[in-house]
Amino acid sequence: MDIEHYNQKPKRNAKFIKPPNLLKAKVGIGGLSDAIIDRAQKLLESHSEDFRPLGEIYLKQMKDGIDNAIALGRPTDSEEVIAQILFPCVQLKANGGMFGYLLVTRIAERFIQFMEVVDKIDEETLDIAMAFYTTIKIVLNSQIKGSGGDQGEALVSELNNACMRYFEKYKDDLQPK
Amino acid sequence: MSYNFQNVQVLLIEDNKPMLNLIRGVLLSFGVGNVITALNGEDGFKEFCLFNPDLVITDWMMSPGNGLELTQTIRRHSKSPNKFVPVILMTGFSEKRRVLSARDKGITEFIVKPFNARDLYRRMHKIIESPREFIESPDYFGPDRRRKRKDVYTGIKRRYTDIIDYKNTENVDVSDIDFR
Repeated sequence: MDIEHYNQKPKRNAKFIKPPNLLKAKVGIGGLSDAIIDRAQKLLESHSEDFRPLGEIYLKQMKDGIDNAIALGRPTDSEEVIAQILFPCVQLKANGGMFGYLLVTRIAERFIQFMEVVDKIDEETLDIAMAFYTTIKIVLNSQIKGSGGDQGEALVSELNNACMRYFEKYKDDLQPK
Repeated sequence: MSYNFQNVQVLLIEDNKPMLNLIRGVLLSFGVGNVITALNGEDGFKEFCLFNPDLVITDWMMSPGNGLELTQTIRRHSKSPNKFVPVILMTGFSEKRRVLSARDKGITEFIVKPFNARDLYRRMHKIIESPREFIESPDYFGPDRRRKRKDVYTGIKRRYTDIIDYKNTENVDVSDIDFR
């Protein structure tokens, strides 16, 4: 007889705690009016911070990451090597749009999604990374704010097509995570 | 009648100074009385211990001490003045597995950059009006990670652990129920 099995304690002993809602007690009821939220949004849209110096730092980090991967001279799935390229691009995506560079955000977002799918670095992914890097650099240097209109749409479409060609070529290797 | 944030202290941690100023401005526009700032997770925890703020808004990717490490420290460190404080994590990542990994570290709300003022307000409103219970288990301490309402299912309950409602059992096929 397996008496130990009978006597075992429950494996998951989760305790539920209801903390006091201190924030609610302080702020009261009613929410914020649309006028207050609109005012905050106007502040977001009308600030005078220039994103380009910061964007160039992230771009340089991204390029250093690409160069580092090229210098390896072999394919890799090393998280560290991927992060050196991916993380600066995440910063470009996150910050670009907050400072009016919506096209930078859109392009960077496409590259992030590409990297989340492939999750490895080889010669072809590096070519694609370089294409994204160069395009973002052009957008930033040309100070193309907002969506970039038809030109912006064409740039995103070209980069998308490059990704889709890669996916088509390696569709058997790409496993869902 | 509207929210009065005048007596509220928010700790904002972001390594990008222009972004820090921008979000600080939004919080001040909401009427937040005191916005304390830090440029990384390590300094953020020091400020947290010093001021014991009502809300923490933190970036993910920072050094030393990223947003997830900061959250874990807030939730678990013996010197933490409030392990239950709501934490909003800001990040450029939106991929599901990244969001889930953040959730598992005890994040209360997640906001994807770029965001607008209403997005940030929505997260704050949710924390104020729909606070979640905390779970303490050997491998997790933080807000309940289940966001779906438990009582959404309105059909007949057929698990052997459920109390049987005899009025609703007429057309139920019970052949697949394990009554051990």
